[in-house]
Amino acid sequence: MRRRQLIALVRKDLRLELRTRETIVAMVLFAIVMLAILQFGFGTRDDDLTRFVGGLMWVTLAFTAVLGVGRSYVAEREQRVLDGLLVAPVPRTVMLAAKSIAIFLYMTAVEIVVIPLVGIFFVKGPYWDSIGWIAIAAVLANICIALSGTLFSGLALFTRARDLILPVLFLPALVPVVIAGAGATHAVAGGPHDMGEWRGYCLFLLAYAILFALVSVATYDAVFDD
Amino acid sequence: MVTARGLVHAYGERRAVDGVDLSLAAGERVAVAGANGAGKSTLLRLVATLLRAQSGTLEVLGQEIPGATRAAREGIGYLAHDPLVYLDLTARQNLELYGDLYGIDDRDRRIDDLLGRVGLIGRAEDTVRTFSRGMAQRLALARMLLHRPRLLLLDEPHASLDARGAALLDDELAAATADGRGAIIVTHEVERVARVADRLVVLRAGRVVLDEPTAGLDPMAVRRRYEEVAS
Repeated sequence: MRRRQLIALVRKDLRLELRTRETIVAMVLFAIVMLAILQFGFGTRDDDLTRFVGGLMWVTLAFTAVLGVGRSYVAEREQRVLDGLLVAPVPRTVMLAAKSIAIFLYMTAVEIVVIPLVGIFFVKGPYWDSIGWIAIAAVLANICIALSGTLFSGLALFTRARDLILPVLFLPALVPVVIAGAGATHAVAGGPHDMGEWRGYCLFLLAYAILFALVSVATYDAVFDD
Repeated sequence: MVTARGLVHAYGERRAVDGVDLSLAAGERVAVAGANGAGKSTLLRLVATLLRAQSGTLEVLGQEIPGATRAAREGIGYLAHDPLVYLDLTARQNLELYGDLYGIDDRDRRIDDLLGRVGLIGRAEDTVRTFSRGMAQRLALARMLLHRPRLLLLDEPHASLDARGAALLDDELAAATADGRGAIIVTHEVERVARVADRLVVLRAGRVVLDEPTAGLDPMAVRRRYEEVAS
């Protein structure tokens, strides 16, 4: 039954997104605008910004994640549906997993645009053969973002100043993700690949994802039921 | 079906529910009335497991709350002020979602049956955003009944139902006695509910000030009794 509930909740989020196209479109546009601003801010196209590319990419993705996570319970809140989900016999961990999968998919959609754009905007050296390695790091980072984002958006849901509270809670939790994501990207972008460094950052992301999964599973019941 | 003893729930310093005792037997329908702010909706949300009591004991459908909350939730049907459906999903998609959340085996047949009963089968593929308030509330009625709940919890159910929905709800409440379901109906419309309720419970400032049978009483007599104690 839990699998059926999980599939139903994920399908619901995707159906809502396909119908309204509010979250993914906003996230992609925000990321593109931010990358463009960063490019203008850092100088002309002639400058090679390869050594900054990890930071530029992951700061952009972190702020885009805040935007997306902030919208993750908008339908439930604005359309006042949350009580309907909460009174159903759905384990809160299933709700956590479903929302995390939705955020993971939204972030993946953003990265499909952002990762190539970063190469076009900022990198003069070899980049395209690194995309696979960057994508693997991005998948791990997305798991961290999805789990921590779901937990903090759940916490912020019941506060009055939720739009302020969420970034205050969520951005500090993203700092390790930005550091590791940027490090993994830097290790493979724009030159010889340092696979040892890349592997180390990816293992860190994996450990962080496991940590947040444990914290989320341990606390999500309390978020919704207390 | 429901046994509450000394239930307390406070919002900050203010006790919305202040030591309430309430019981509901199988097949019984209890109307809970009171002035605005008397604690009716808070009491209903406690029984619906949407709020946690700060003190007192609560048993719903034989399950201790909060210990066995999920098992109790399987048997609860909750109709709130809001329809609790997604405006950007169709009527059918909303019921499919809830059907899956409750693990209903004959989901699609049940959905068709309920959409027919609430008069929405012709609008099943339309998004709820295109519905009138009354139609959305009829869909909410279908949502509440979808998993064949043993305990119906209704918050001002007649307030936004149109005539067809209200008639269907009254039929469901009447049928509840026959098949052993229970219902708690929070209401301002004391006379209307008096026709289908077996007992009237009146709250004032979070406390029970009246708990009397209404069977055989004239609805106007029930209204007068309510007004004597409610304010």
